Amino acid sequence: MDQENGTGWYICVNCGYVYKPEKGDAMNNISPGVAFEELPDEWVCPMCYATKDLFDPMD
Amino acid sequence: MKPSVSSLYRAVELQQEIPPLLIGERANTNGSKKFRELLLADDYDACLKVALEQETKGAHVIDLCTAYAGRDELKDLTTLVRMCAQSLKCPVMIDSTTPDCIEACLKIYPGRAIINSVNLEDGGKTLKRVCQAAKKYGAAVVALTIGEKGMAMTADEKLNIAKGIYQIAVNQCGLRPHDLLFDCLTFTVGSGDEKLEDAAIQTLEGIRLVKKELPGCLTVLGLSNISFGLPPKARRILNSVFLHEAVQAGLDAAIVDAAKILPLAKISDDDREVCRDLLFDRRNGQEQKPLMRFIEYFQDIGEETEQKDSEGNKTTEEQMFAKVVEGDKDGLEDLLFILMERFKPIAIINQILVPAMRHVGELFGRGEILLPFVLQSAEVMKLSVKALEPHMDKNEAGSTTSILLATVQGDVHDIGKNLVDIILSNNGYEVHNIGINVPTEMIIEKARELNVDAIGLSGLLVKSAIVMQDSMSQYRNAGINVPILLGGAALTPRFVAENCVPHHSEPVVYCPDAFAGLKAVRELEEGTLTATTFNSGRVPEQMKPGVKDSTVLRNNPVPKPPFLGKKYVEHVDPEKFLSLVNTQALFRGRWGYRRGKMTANEYQELITGTVEPLYEKIVRESLEKNLICPKITYGYFPCYAEGETLYVEADGQQYPFAFPRQSEAPHRCITDYFKTKEEGGDIAGFFVVTIGEKMSEETAMLYAADAYHDYLMLHGFSVEATDALAEYWHGVMRNEMGISGDETGDIAAAVRQGYQGSRYGFGYPACPDLDVHQPLFAFLQPERLGISLTENMQMVPEQTTSAIVVHHPQAKYFAV
Repeated sequence: MDQENGTGWYICVNCGYVYKPEKGDAMNNISPGVAFEELPDEWVCPMCYATKDLFDPMD
Repeated sequence: MKPSVSSLYRAVELQQEIPPLLIGERANTNGSKKFRELLLADDYDACLKVALEQETKGAHVIDLCTAYAGRDELKDLTTLVRMCAQSLKCPVMIDSTTPDCIEACLKIYPGRAIINSVNLEDGGKTLKRVCQAAKKYGAAVVALTIGEKGMAMTADEKLNIAKGIYQIAVNQCGLRPHDLLFDCLTFTVGSGDEKLEDAAIQTLEGIRLVKKELPGCLTVLGLSNISFGLPPKARRILNSVFLHEAVQAGLDAAIVDAAKILPLAKISDDDREVCRDLLFDRRNGQEQKPLMRFIEYFQDIGEETEQKDSEGNKTTEEQMFAKVVEGDKDGLEDLLFILMERFKPIAIINQILVPAMRHVGELFGRGEILLPFVLQSAEVMKLSVKALEPHMDKNEAGSTTSILLATVQGDVHDIGKNLVDIILSNNGYEVHNIGINVPTEMIIEKARELNVDAIGLSGLLVKSAIVMQDSMSQYRNAGINVPILLGGAALTPRFVAENCVPHHSEPVVYCPDAFAGLKAVRELEEGTLTATTFNSGRVPEQMKPGVKDSTVLRNNPVPKPPFLGKKYVEHVDPEKFLSLVNTQALFRGRWGYRRGKMTANEYQELITGTVEPLYEKIVRESLEKNLICPKITYGYFPCYAEGETLYVEADGQQYPFAFPRQSEAPHRCITDYFKTKEEGGDIAGFFVVTIGEKMSEETAMLYAADAYHDYLMLHGFSVEATDALAEYWHGVMRNEMGISGDETGDIAAAVRQGYQGSRYGFGYPACPDLDVHQPLFAFLQPERLGISLTENMQMVPEQTTSAIVVHHPQAKYFAV
């Protein structure tokens, strides 16, 4: 599988927000460059507050 | 004159010169998936076509069966009988066990039909009624050899029941012997069940006895059961040979797929012999049983099969298990029919169905199957249990764990609770679902009355979490000493552990989804259920996202709305906002089509192959059935902020809106985005939008009909469609206020709030309290659109949403 060079984007299944590591998440004070897997456990969706387990890989 | 039946166009002799009379079986909801789906799609024309096709393939009579849980059989069957009466040259066979339905069809059918069927199960009550109708309208009747003790297995039993039916039908109701077609019942010789090894012999002997002992009476057989469980190709040959043997024994008519009957001449001698060995259980001195020889013999031709035949080597139990796991309803009744020969219904439930559902739960837990498929499995479970129930003693199922379910007072959200109901009840538990908006007192009363083993409380709203918390001591004080399971979007393990657990005498358990509820009930049974705990040291508290900047600009311009006051909009073309449906949230979130362990390609295939077509179908059907009736009340109002209160002026009156403030930095409150009186005041937009109550009615109907999968799909769609309408209208209002700038208007941008301003939905994180609905309803007056408030400020119909529209450029979502 050459899916490994994907974007690393993750989508919130509750609201559709997409976490993009290259952008980070200013609403949660997450600076650009942090991979989804490296986000702290207490991180939640900046739009709807869904927890990390409610995120799906995009590709 | 020879015994005949007739349509408007022709008479057909029941005893064909070259027997048997072929009765086409495909226009049957229980026997044909295709026909069932057409009927479920209300496509009567296509259903008629199924009937017509059989005519061209050689059927003499067409069987029509529309019985299906949740459908109006009377309407479906009379509609189709009427259509067939016009278009079919063949007479019809009215296939129903409901006397009202049979009578209604006889009344409108312009020829002489056959009724399928009656039996002696209830001692003759229904039989008598149907025979009287047959006499009155002139119809032939199929009579199954089923007595009060069940289905007749031996030839003698078959004859005895036939005699009993004859006594009532002929001697009491005045039918003529040749008005009766006895069906001596066929059981499979393909299951490997030793008790059924002579099933074909008994059936054939039954036919012989009926013809001999009840002269003038006719016989009929549902043929294909004989080969149930065998590969399709071999079935076709075995069915054809069996038909030939049955005709030799005196069979007059057969219910068959006319297209699939092979003339005996086309079957080789060797093939015939292997079939006959199986049918007549001929060992020929060989060690191997005839069934094994049959399977081996036909192994090679099994390859070019028309349908999946993985069922070939499975036992009936395994097939049943697979039906549940795969959510496949096809041929379910046949399978249960066969299983009931060997097992008591309760054993089928406890030893096959429940373990199958448990397996489904495990697969879901491991992320190997998705929620929509779980619901399809639950539908198979429910259908099976429904089919088995009439054969069970009342007290047989009484010893199971029972759970009371309710959505708490002030909350009208149904879906979460209903999913728990579906999962628990289809795992064999006794569930008492007492509805939505139920006061604690009522729950206590019901829990006492029903003597339940646990209570499950549900609620979506933030306020519902508070209601749950406050009710815990009430349960304790009332002496309700059973565990309480809590579920709902606003709950967290921490909240349950710290605010609910301490106030009840028994374990209080947080259940994030329906399967967690199932797990809790199992633990309760095993005696291992414990209250939810929360270790604040180990799991840090969730982040509170939001703009961290604590200064809100004060010098932003106040837009000029095109009007002040409220307006109603009662017609919006759904096409305008359906493009804004958040399909990602719908597919993955509400519908549960998450990627899970699938590869990107597999997931893409699921989305394009299954989910998107389903979405298009639901949109199309919703539009066709006018389920989406958008109505809006909205307006712009002068206002000013003072602390946490926004004073809104409408119709010459002042309405205070009290909003909460964040308890931690940056201590945001919605009022911060509005100018004070001293700053010159401001403008606030408000709206209430609904897609109407038809959607609620439709989803309630699906749930009541145990159409779990369709229920979840349509409900999820309705919620997202409502939000799309809100999103659309928010756009209209930004436009009217002249703050829309160069928005892209696509849904991805909407998710990110890629526009100026924000809409804060009431009941959502920035304003969880619904009490602001009171002033809002006072001046937007949505009652005129059929929208009302519950005593706890929730809007009805469910597919309604409200918001304050804030124009301030810094306004973004936050949570208090």
